[in-house]
Amino acid sequence: MAEGPRLSAVDYIDRFFDELRVEIRANPKLAARLVRALGGNVVFENEAKTEAANPYALAAEGDSVRFHSVFGSMKITEIRRVLRDNNLATRVDIAGKNQQQLVDMLYSRASRKVSERKGTLFGADRT
Amino acid sequence: MVALTAAVANLKGGVGKSTTTVMLADGLSYFYGMNVLVIDLDPQANSSQMLLTEEGVQAALDQGKGAHHLLASFVDGAAPSAAPYILPNAVTLEELRLAEAQDRRLGWISSLPAHPQLRLRELSLEEEWYGKSGTPTTLASALSDYFREAFLPLLPLYDIILMDCPPHLSPLARAGLALADAFITPTIADSVSTWGTKQFSEWVSRFIATDLASRHFVLVARFRDTRYARQIASDLREIYLKDRWFGPSIPESVHVLNAMDRAAMDSYNTMRGKYSGVTGDVRRLAERFSDFMTQRTGVTWQKVRD
Repeated sequence: MAEGPRLSAVDYIDRFFDELRVEIRANPKLAARLVRALGGNVVFENEAKTEAANPYALAAEGDSVRFHSVFGSMKITEIRRVLRDNNLATRVDIAGKNQQQLVDMLYSRASRKVSERKGTLFGADRT
Repeated sequence: MVALTAAVANLKGGVGKSTTTVMLADGLSYFYGMNVLVIDLDPQANSSQMLLTEEGVQAALDQGKGAHHLLASFVDGAAPSAAPYILPNAVTLEELRLAEAQDRRLGWISSLPAHPQLRLRELSLEEEWYGKSGTPTTLASALSDYFREAFLPLLPLYDIILMDCPPHLSPLARAGLALADAFITPTIADSVSTWGTKQFSEWVSRFIATDLASRHFVLVARFRDTRYARQIASDLREIYLKDRWFGPSIPESVHVLNAMDRAAMDSYNTMRGKYSGVTGDVRRLAERFSDFMTQRTGVTWQKVRD
């Protein structure tokens, strides 16, 4: 088996981070996950915003203003895509709705789903 | 037409009982214009969630609807009647909703939903019943008699009742099985599911329906179209359950999982939008089940949509 080129530890680390940089540029979702894991907050723009924006995570924060500021700046085609990609609306549901109505739908449905899944069906008052 | 009751049941969990129930309800209401009642007897309430959403399941309980309240009426000694506990609208397909809105209904789905509280209510009933020297068998029998009477006035209102049964044999589950005219058993093409399906089939043959073979519709789901999966499915047909009626193979796919996740209580989708690449599988399932029921009853079901 041929031996690979001898590289210094710094060269190996550079190669690793080069690969990571390439992947992060191509994959906004991974970028968002990594930044979140580091405790940071990142604002994406244009196409990357649609790719990375997670309506469930934002709705779970319960900050309607922030939610609307993130999704309200998207184009109507981008909001439709977020709704459909996240199983929050069908083509039938979004037909004929304007941008504001779609963002409102996105917020209310994502919030409701988060609330359903965080809640319990065995509460003390549910006997 | 008086409704026939089909129990969707298998003791093996995770084989697609709830998914099959909803696919069949959609397929029969859409392609055959049938008036379908879905009874969910599984406290996991999966088919209820698929039809109504989780919020809808909770709302139903809060509004006094569902199997939980029917069971409570038995506990309270009330006269048997299921009608007050049924949600008359569990339709998710846009075509059915539109036709209804235009006053030309062709196919509909109603629901007697389940809720996780159902199992707690049943446990409480079991403790009380056994405390008075009752047995699981006498409780199952009493529940079955009560449900039979409770559903009797509803039979002329529906074409088919699909009962989603839990993967266990609690008294409530046994009562449900005892009401069935036909049994639909989904299974998966793997060895443990085959074993579980065979055991379930033998148990039902022995204790519920000695003529099960002639009333049994088996569906095999495949995760992957491998030689192993085909061999297991073939063995089930040719060796273990060779005298049963087999439906089409159901693909387990992302399309199916997405189709079962209703976005909200006011969300509707077209048949093609909901089922996408598996629309043909839903149609074939409905057609094959229609053939099975025609062979059993001599009545031919007419298609209303292609």
